Amino acid sequence: MAALPLYILLCSGEHEKVHMAAMMASVGAVSERSVEVFVSMNAIFAFAQDAPERYRGGAFSDLMKQKRVTDSIMLFRQGKELGDLKMWACSMALDVTGWDEDRLTADLFDGPLGLTKFLSDAENGQFVTL
Amino acid sequence: MADQILDAKGLNCPLPILRAKKALKDVPMGGTLQVIATDPGAVKDFEAFCRTTGNELVESTSEGKVFNFVIKRMS
Repeated sequence: MAALPLYILLCSGEHEKVHMAAMMASVGAVSERSVEVFVSMNAIFAFAQDAPERYRGGAFSDLMKQKRVTDSIMLFRQGKELGDLKMWACSMALDVTGWDEDRLTADLFDGPLGLTKFLSDAENGQFVTL
Repeated sequence: MADQILDAKGLNCPLPILRAKKALKDVPMGGTLQVIATDPGAVKDFEAFCRTTGNELVESTSEGKVFNFVIKRMS
C-alpha cells in the first residue's frame, strides 16, 4: 500500500522548525511519498532570496550553525530533486509582505497557493503543522 | 563486492538517506549499493527507507560506531 501523502504547514520562521520541515519534506520525498509544503506567516521570511540573516532560532539553532548542519533550503532542494516534493508560498503571506514570487529563493517554489486549496488537497493525507 | 560504494561517514541525518537515494539512481536494477555511515540512527533509517522504497536491504552490519549497509536496487 502506498504511503499517505504528507502535507506540511510551515508557519514558524524559527530555524529549528524550518529545518525540521526541511528534514521531513526531504526524507518523505525520497521515501516515495508525495510531499507538499505550504509556507506562510513568519516562515516566509526564511525563504527570502536576499535574507540578511535567514535562520533565527534558539539554543539548538546556534548548535546547528556551529556544527555546520546542512542548510535547510538545500534539504528542500534535494527533496525536490530526488522525489515528489512541491513547495507553495501562501498567497496571503505574499500579499501582506507585498512580495512577488521573485522575492523568494529561486527555483524552489511551485507557485503561490491559497489555504483553501491546500487544505482541500490535504484531506486524504497526513498533516503536520510547524 | 557492491556495484557502487557511498561513504556517508560523518554526515548527519537525513543526509545519508538522501545521498543513498541519489546514488541508487546510478545503480542498475538488481545491482547493489554499499553505504558506510556513522549516524547513530542509520540502522533503523535504512531499514525504513528500504521498506518504503521497495529496495532490498541485503546486509546491515556494524563495527563499533561505523555502520555498513548493502542495498539491492529493486525499484
